[in-house]
Amino acid sequence: MDISMNKYSALLTELGIIITEDKKTIVKAFAFDDAVSDYLKIKSGKIPRSCRDLKGHLESLNTTISTGDEALFAILRSTQIDVRMLKSQDAEDARTSKLQLMTGAGFTSDDRDAVSKLREFAIGLASSKVTEVSSSADLHVIQAVNSLDEVDKVANALSSRIKEWYGLHFPELDNIVDGIEGYARIVLAGRRDSLATESFEDVGFPETKAEMLTLAARNSRGGDISDGNLEIVQSMAEQVIMLYELRKKLESSIEEEMIVIAPNLSAILGTLLSARILARIGSLKRMSTLPASTLQVLGAERALFRSLRMGTEPPKHGLLFQHPMVHAAPRWQRGKIARAIAAKAAIATRVDVYGDGLNKTLLEKLNIKIGEIEEKFDKPREYDGRHDGAQRQAGTYVDEPERQRIRGDKRSRHRKAGGGARHADTSYDGSRDVGSKHMRRPERTGPKEDGHTRGRKKSKTQTRDDLDIRGKVSKRKFKVKEGKRKSKIKKGKAGKGRKRTEGKNRSRHR
Amino acid sequence: MDREKSHAPDPPFLWLNVEGKSSPATANLVPGNRVYGEKLQVRKKIEYRVWDPFRSKLAAAIMNGLKTFPFTNAGRILYLGVSTGTTTSHISDIVGPSGVIFGVEHASRVARDFLDRVASYRPNIIPILQDARRPAEYAGIFDKVDVVYADIAQPDQTAITIDNCKMHLDVDGFLLLVIKTRSIDSIKQPHTVIMQEVEKLEKDFDVQQIIDLNPYDKDHAMVIARRSW
Repeated sequence: MDISMNKYSALLTELGIIITEDKKTIVKAFAFDDAVSDYLKIKSGKIPRSCRDLKGHLESLNTTISTGDEALFAILRSTQIDVRMLKSQDAEDARTSKLQLMTGAGFTSDDRDAVSKLREFAIGLASSKVTEVSSSADLHVIQAVNSLDEVDKVANALSSRIKEWYGLHFPELDNIVDGIEGYARIVLAGRRDSLATESFEDVGFPETKAEMLTLAARNSRGGDISDGNLEIVQSMAEQVIMLYELRKKLESSIEEEMIVIAPNLSAILGTLLSARILARIGSLKRMSTLPASTLQVLGAERALFRSLRMGTEPPKHGLLFQHPMVHAAPRWQRGKIARAIAAKAAIATRVDVYGDGLNKTLLEKLNIKIGEIEEKFDKPREYDGRHDGAQRQAGTYVDEPERQRIRGDKRSRHRKAGGGARHADTSYDGSRDVGSKHMRRPERTGPKEDGHTRGRKKSKTQTRDDLDIRGKVSKRKFKVKEGKRKSKIKKGKAGKGRKRTEGKNRSRHR
Repeated sequence: MDREKSHAPDPPFLWLNVEGKSSPATANLVPGNRVYGEKLQVRKKIEYRVWDPFRSKLAAAIMNGLKTFPFTNAGRILYLGVSTGTTTSHISDIVGPSGVIFGVEHASRVARDFLDRVASYRPNIIPILQDARRPAEYAGIFDKVDVVYADIAQPDQTAITIDNCKMHLDVDGFLLLVIKTRSIDSIKQPHTVIMQEVEKLEKDFDVQQIIDLNPYDKDHAMVIARRSW
């Protein structure tokens, strides 16, 4: 009975649909006009023109139809036709005899032709997929945010070189002017003896500052600079100004695009941080499949895996440290706030991918939650931020040699020196502290400084960046920038070290 | 399909003396064409592509004493995780114009390079840009294959590979599985991970050889197994 019911089969091949009787005899074939696009149409639940008679034909058979393809099954189920899925053995047989079937249906002339047509189809399909993926907006945002970081790097390197070089000629300038933007404009104006108060004002400095500069220029300790060298420094200065303009463009493009592709995520994290996290993950869709805990520690892989391996404290935040709410919070609240933010960010991403529009309750609820945390944990508890990771040690399954290898020589030396029985017993905790402090330091201070400067940048973004670009500087603002500049140098170093290790982790753990 | 044996050489690859070292090399299916900057060498009017064990894990396995080499002229191969197609191109040389390689890759970034550099020049490669987790959905595949070669960086790589073998591997067919211990578990000892994955295979396969790919690839192993169900 079963056999008679499965008499007719509708088989989807790459080149068309074939109707068979008793699994062998071909009763009808619908060849695709454009194999790739027709095939994709079927897969997306639509019937291409080349198969418009398919339904009619199957209905006229007036019997049960089996099919091996889920998409075709879904299409046929929406009609009057009684349709069911082929048994897996039959589907396998159909796949094994695919070349013969296609030739029998007249799609191809022989096996060799069938293989080459299949290859042509496969390449066409693959190319269309590559094209489709390459045009997705999140890939462009990722490129933009990576460019932003690279532009920063280049601009910083070039800026310090300009300061060094032009500094030979006018060393006092560096201490008076902090923003490279204003510095570069003065370099463009020429030699220090040709600079009058007006030229400083033209660059955008206020009168008092310009007078100070004129005085410094007149009494400068700097040496002469030749025409050729000045020209080179000046073209470097031009480049820096262009880079800053480019940076601004990138920033606004990221902002615009993020608000379109991920309005909810941007509302929770801000556009730039959203884009950075997105860049780390690769695509918005993939991000929507990740748990909040992953988002929380993203960027702190080194600390995370060290924690898994050796039982040190797990990281509280990775890239999320850049969130103003996290880095502005007192140390003992940061982990809790980061967790709350990550939880909402994970939901927000899912709304962005599968939902529609901006959902304001997410941010409202997050703010309430953070308010609760701030209230409940307004004072640090005794052990906050000073856990002894040894408590976590039970349950981790790393063997001793591995642990020693990771911790490095320092610990084992300490251990050997310790010697005696008492030490042998307690050396674990004691050396642990040495070890873990030693290990922790780069991670702890790294993100801290990093986040700290970025944090400042964030909270005072508008003032600082506007001022950089326009060159409108007041005395008060200068002070802010002074601090900023110093920490920026530190950030450069810390950032470098961190990035390297992250890269390492990525290749190792993905 | 009749599988006439022609063009492609027997044995599948040669050992050539390159800069004082003996390296495996395959006869170039597309003379003059280089895939990843490998050296080209002409011997007896045949152009060979030198096979770099640091770039290809199959070559690394050969260097480390692979006993059974299942890739033959006119063979049919299902290759999971072709990436940019370095290893695939050498297998393509070996199976020759009568063989077929179904190259599966999910990541479109590397698939772009694979299409541009390898698949479009080599008539025996059928690219499949799909997720190896859904072997029934492969478009362009036909018949059964003689060898499944799997090099996929997923924690459940062994299960994915077994699913693919169940669906597409012919009777007596071979499986070459690259075990990426760091993709499976970054904390456990590599050796533990390898043994644990081999155990998963043993139900359906005769495991013939396990090769450590050091020093060419750290924490990687190649398992050669034969279908036994």
